[in-house]
Amino acid sequence: MRTYLELVKANARNVFRDRMALFWFLAFPIVFVLLFGTIFSDDWTPSEFPVGLVADGGEVAQGLASALGHTGAFSTHTGTEEDELEALRRGDRRLVIVLPPGADSLLAQGEKVQVVLHYDQRQQAVNQVLISSVGEILQEMERAMTGRPRVFAVRPEAVQTTDLRGIDFLLPGVMAMALMQLGLFGSLQVVGLRERKVLRQLHATPLSRPLLIASEVTVRLSMALIQAMLILTIGHLVFGVTVVGSWLVVIGLVVLGAGMFVSLGYLLVSFAKSEEAGQGIVQLVQFPMMFLSGIFFPVDVMPDFLRPVMKAIPLTYLADLLRQEITGWAALHAPATNFTVLGAWLAVSLVLAMRLFRWE
Amino acid sequence: MSEAVVVAGLKKNYGGVEAVAGVDFTVRAGEVFGMLGPNGAGKSTTVEILAGLRRRDAGDVSVLGLDPATAAKELKARIGMQLQSVALYPRLRVWEVLCLFASFYRRPLKPAEVLSRVGLADKAHSLTNQLSGGQAQRLAIAMAMIGDGELLFLDEPTTGLDPQARRMLWQVILDLKQGDKTVVLTTHYMDEAERLCDRVAIIDHGRIIALGSPRDLVAEHFREQAVEFEAHGLSAELAPGQIPGVTRIERNGGMVTLYTTQVSRTVEALLTCRGGEETGLRDFTARRATLEDVFLKLTGRRIRG
Repeated sequence: MRTYLELVKANARNVFRDRMALFWFLAFPIVFVLLFGTIFSDDWTPSEFPVGLVADGGEVAQGLASALGHTGAFSTHTGTEEDELEALRRGDRRLVIVLPPGADSLLAQGEKVQVVLHYDQRQQAVNQVLISSVGEILQEMERAMTGRPRVFAVRPEAVQTTDLRGIDFLLPGVMAMALMQLGLFGSLQVVGLRERKVLRQLHATPLSRPLLIASEVTVRLSMALIQAMLILTIGHLVFGVTVVGSWLVVIGLVVLGAGMFVSLGYLLVSFAKSEEAGQGIVQLVQFPMMFLSGIFFPVDVMPDFLRPVMKAIPLTYLADLLRQEITGWAALHAPATNFTVLGAWLAVSLVLAMRLFRWE
Repeated sequence: MSEAVVVAGLKKNYGGVEAVAGVDFTVRAGEVFGMLGPNGAGKSTTVEILAGLRRRDAGDVSVLGLDPATAAKELKARIGMQLQSVALYPRLRVWEVLCLFASFYRRPLKPAEVLSRVGLADKAHSLTNQLSGGQAQRLAIAMAMIGDGELLFLDEPTTGLDPQARRMLWQVILDLKQGDKTVVLTTHYMDEAERLCDRVAIIDHGRIIALGSPRDLVAEHFREQAVEFEAHGLSAELAPGQIPGVTRIERNGGMVTLYTTQVSRTVEALLTCRGGEETGLRDFTARRATLEDVFLKLTGRRIRG
């Protein structure tokens, strides 16, 4: 344990004292998120929020429609529940208000009127404002129409929408790519140590191979987590991207992805004699992966003949999992498929990397 | 245990080239054993096989009672190894490197103690890539010492160092011997072998060509003393028998070495012989025969150059 901690410390120092590497480690995610965010983020800040109203055209519905109109912040569209929800999914509505059938008579009988608010789950911050302002409008109406309190009960319901902004689509991809680069290029450090014969020096001591590899992987995983958090934070602060799913799952995915790519990195450079040779091998692998994985473009735009290649690339599956968890965007593959492919890559790379590891 | 290392019939090939071509020797516990020979003689390969870093192709090897090929990890816990080329984490400090290496061993020495023994106490907080060659070499030896192993392998510990740094390292090695450590060192410096080693194996082309204490080796091959000078047209005419006392003549580059049983008569004869006085005998020295002379006699070459 003492050996392991000392190795982790030595490793971390060796990495973080390399100013250039440290700069890129921090600058890479920032530059990428800002770059892609600026290019792909729609600057869509409407003066009016389109709201769908589903109602049977009674007194309550009319009252609500005119109240919404009066605020000047909403443009009201009425339609069937089905059509309006579809419009919400397309991004044509920010909110769909559903009044129960016969709201007027319910009101007359003095019963509670259940009003359902459908909203886009990705737009948490905006929606809090929308929902509470609709709530206030309903309260106003309540007082005006009945003089009695608590007639309407508002129940907000999130809807998974397909109208992702570019940045929403790209951010998880940038994360996956960062994990890949960190894992693959990070392995070059070991090649450097081997080339400079530091590993040979270590080999002359009773230090065991698994311990050395474990400490390397630990440092890489920590770096991966730092970088992933940095990307999410910048994405959130600058472009308002929020994690729809669970943070714990996201962290788990980052660890899984980083572990997979670190192992793959070690495997790739097993035979590299010099840092330069290792760099060449890693470039050869990471470049096509980056473009064929669908992290920059939806996979549908890729020509058919590339599909089988894309099916094998682990980055595709990692990005898919991250995208679903972060944005709520429907995954391309079933989670089981994603985890199976990633797990297989991890297991095979790890075993081979351990087997082929050389001290000199 | 009286024998720290026992080697019999050791062989190692690299792609058809015999780096070690059948070597036998033993190292006694507590002695400083030297392997002396030119570059490429097979010294490093032998030492690396003994330390469990390389596999042998043939022969029997026992180090501290263990076979390095099958019990490498157990063996490495009990020895210290300084490799020929110093390799260090470039961005770590001296102190950090020693603490790291100390953590690999069960009962390591205190880093501060080892640093002061090799004279690096004031460099503890320097980055390793800021050390001079001599300092880096001393750190490498400190790394070999930190585990407090019974047996230390030092592969060319003083190569490329200035005289002052070399003498400093010699003292470190002599201190190790005082501390009851067994030391196996390789070198291509004759004076180093003579000064430090209890016994020396002279190695050439992967074979041991002479083995014994430096004093015995010299005595065995030379009763004579050596007279050396730079030749100036003089050498061509010299032959044993022409000059009193001279038994052998070696020529190497511009230097002529006469081995003589009667130094004063030989020198006298040289000075009076034709042309001797006018040209002068440049770089003239008279000395006892050394291991260098033994090597020259056995191989016909000087160990370096």
